[in-house]
Amino acid sequence: MVTAAPPSFLPRAGLDRLIALLRDDGRRVIGPTVVDGAVAYEEIASTADLPLGWSDEQSPGRYRLVESPGPGRERAFGYTVGPASWKRYTFPPRVDIGRGRDADGTVTYEPVAPEPDALAFLGVRGCELAALRIQDRVLRDGPVADPDYVARRRAALVIAVECTVAASTCFCTSMGTGPEIARESADLVLTELDDGYLLRSGTDDGRRLEARLDPRPATDDEVAHARASVADVRRRIGDPVAVQGLPGRLQARLDHPRWAEIAERCLGCANCTLVCPTCFCTSVTQRSDLDSRDSVAVRGWDSCFSGDFAKVAGGSFRWRRQDRYRQWLTHKFSTWVDQFGAFGCVGCGRCVTWCPVGIDVREELAVIAPPAARRPLPMAAAAAPGDFTPARVERTWPETPDTTTLLLTDVDPAIAHGAPGQFVMVTRPGLPAVPISVSRYHPEGDAIELSIRAAGPATATLSSLAPGTPLGVRGPLGRGWPLEAAEGRDVIVVSGGIGLSPLRPAIDALLEDRPRYGTVRLYHGARTPNDRPHKDDLATWAARPDVEAGETVDRAGTGWTGPVGVVTHLFDAGRWDARDAVAFVCGPERMMQATVSTLEDRGLRPERIHVSMERHMECGIGLCGHCQLGRFFVCRDGPVFSRAELGDAFILEGV
Amino acid sequence: MPGLPLRPRVGVVKLTSCDGCQLTILDLEEELLSIVEAFDIVDFPEATSSRSSGPYDILFVEGSVSAPDQVERLAELRARSTLLVAIGACATAGGIQALRNWGEVGDWAATVYPDPSLLQVLDRVTPISDHVKVDVEVRGCPISPDQLRELLAALLAGRRPQLPDEAVCLECKRRGLTCVVVAAGATCLGPVTRSGCGAICPSFGRGCYGCFGPREQPNVASLVSRFELDGLAPDEARRRFAGINAWAEPYRDAIPRGGGARPELAAAGVPGETEAADARR
Repeated sequence: MVTAAPPSFLPRAGLDRLIALLRDDGRRVIGPTVVDGAVAYEEIASTADLPLGWSDEQSPGRYRLVESPGPGRERAFGYTVGPASWKRYTFPPRVDIGRGRDADGTVTYEPVAPEPDALAFLGVRGCELAALRIQDRVLRDGPVADPDYVARRRAALVIAVECTVAASTCFCTSMGTGPEIARESADLVLTELDDGYLLRSGTDDGRRLEARLDPRPATDDEVAHARASVADVRRRIGDPVAVQGLPGRLQARLDHPRWAEIAERCLGCANCTLVCPTCFCTSVTQRSDLDSRDSVAVRGWDSCFSGDFAKVAGGSFRWRRQDRYRQWLTHKFSTWVDQFGAFGCVGCGRCVTWCPVGIDVREELAVIAPPAARRPLPMAAAAAPGDFTPARVERTWPETPDTTTLLLTDVDPAIAHGAPGQFVMVTRPGLPAVPISVSRYHPEGDAIELSIRAAGPATATLSSLAPGTPLGVRGPLGRGWPLEAAEGRDVIVVSGGIGLSPLRPAIDALLEDRPRYGTVRLYHGARTPNDRPHKDDLATWAARPDVEAGETVDRAGTGWTGPVGVVTHLFDAGRWDARDAVAFVCGPERMMQATVSTLEDRGLRPERIHVSMERHMECGIGLCGHCQLGRFFVCRDGPVFSRAELGDAFILEGV
Repeated sequence: MPGLPLRPRVGVVKLTSCDGCQLTILDLEEELLSIVEAFDIVDFPEATSSRSSGPYDILFVEGSVSAPDQVERLAELRARSTLLVAIGACATAGGIQALRNWGEVGDWAATVYPDPSLLQVLDRVTPISDHVKVDVEVRGCPISPDQLRELLAALLAGRRPQLPDEAVCLECKRRGLTCVVVAAGATCLGPVTRSGCGAICPSFGRGCYGCFGPREQPNVASLVSRFELDGLAPDEARRRFAGINAWAEPYRDAIPRGGGARPELAAAGVPGETEAADARR
């Protein structure tokens, strides 16, 4: 066992020497280069061929190269993965595997011996190394190895690069494949810094190569900097796919209605399988001469999405698109584990980006096989149920006949920096703690607003507190509105009555960062004009040119000239395209059900419709059991949920 | 596929078409000697002056059925052929001339001919499979020499020809091309179009326009939605299907009233079953 040497540092100019050394060794160097508006893996001669200064923007169904901003513009690896994968070199799209001959009454067959070039792969990412390992399991390490794959794989030296940027489609963190790269998993591992590369070698070949480059030892600062930038990638990606128990959950949902719904969007075009770095399905075809005495067996990439793939004389066993999509997804995330002991997915996100209609496996998995429960949020202030931080009532004002807003100051900064849709527990000595959504944050002044409906004695007492009164607050608690899911999309915000209060911080955030979102539509319904909370805000929003706002009341009084009727009437006749939109809905349960159903009819996907659920909440951290809703604790896992994750719990009575 | 004799008698005939697909046969220059050795070409006006009225072991038919006499002639040819192979978009889908199905034939004729009364044409241009049984279809405008070579080799070897029913995307990705829909927002019919061309258009950075016609299980509606998200007006997105294979289902159903023609010529509307399809929408 060789003790791992500490990382060394190669100045930026050293990369050209690395490429030159590899070429001197007789290897063709395959590396990233820009072809047709995307990063491809082709033969390169020097760093001039690398995508210097380029970065990429990726989202479901969309890919664009952009010039990377700010310092480090000359970076060689400032993008994530493109449509190409190394599979093209280890498992080519077409390869001759055997020849048949019929000469002088004798039939002979001979396999085609692979004669691969010596290659060096430069710039293999963590997810891509994992993909190579998966194809090793399938094509090399099984009971029968594929000779062509084995030869090509052996002929390639692998130089990996840790990612210091993430695309919105990345989920290596969930699949356990990146962004960090263990030195043992490649011959040489690079981490790009502003002025050079951190080097770690993982094999004898790599160590020899590193020595020939004669790098200096890396400083502690350089090592720390490299670690921090990779850690930042991990943080930005988060953990979008809950893989624990996923194979079993998926097998239990083979009859989920979602498969048919996906098939309405799925083109069945096979792009996902062809850009996938692990997909290995092929078909062998015979190429014969017109005299038919010689033939060559050609193995080519095929796909479980092709019409002929599962065909027998009577037809295809998987004749519908939904059958084929289910086959693919369950293979990647379930049956592959049975067959090869690992997932068939590495979380590179290519199938998400390169699906022409933007079908996102992360979204589909969350709908078809959701995890049993969501992980709790770390608590911010006064986590324990008996622990409150002090605050003071600065001022109060009536919103409606039964609702009062309290401006609290001197609140714990963690609470004043809470997220839209989160709530706090509020109390006074002698009063029970009451859960109240924050209706506005004033982070710069350590203040929040709480809009409290006097529904019982305690809330009535809180509503009537005089300015200057001290009280106790815990929070912020729960999960709020997923604003990040709304970025780049149209947003529809629908509120009923006092349900506007938990949405108000979300609206504040949308309007504060207006360019990040598409069209913003705000709809509010109240019983009577008198029952409208936050009247000044409603007027301000309605007057903004970059907001489409609508209001209605169930019963108009004198002086109301606006629409009368339920809130869904405001938008169910609208002609806008809702298919790509995200919706936030809060109000009485019946109102939310009617709204969600109307939005679904308009083409909104259930995972993009978010509702805030009301339940009896006491501890606020999922320990007391009061607020259970199906498999969720509303206080901890909510109160904001997507329609998709709630499932039947959203519509069934008595849950 | 029925068993063929050692040196099959082959005919190549045409109905309404440009002859481009027949010329693809002649484009197989390196194999021509092998072809005439392996096949007895008894009728092929583009290539030889010898004529035969059959019978044919294999008959290649190019072109659409556009005139009344072609209906009769096709039935006779079918009766004299063991294997009938439709070659090209005209024969398999009606071809570009089927765009006139979205108008009134009289209107078109009056625009083009000084004395339209001399014309004897059918109201509707149709593929030959609307009239007779077709054993093999070779798609494309024009057909691919590789697929033709494969068909001939397969006929001789006694196997099913490998004319895969898959999306153009597979050929595109095997070639290592970047998806023009995702990377450039191009309007590409590749995901709903059958392969065979070798993904020529995407290799030049432009979208496929569907010259090999629909593949099996094409999801035209979803692709139209994608074009709309990229900014095409709904009719504009649907009009992309009004090309060489316009009359092939489900391209045909996707095409708006007027068939993508100029509005003043489209006044006559969509004929026949497409009217019903339009009503369904």
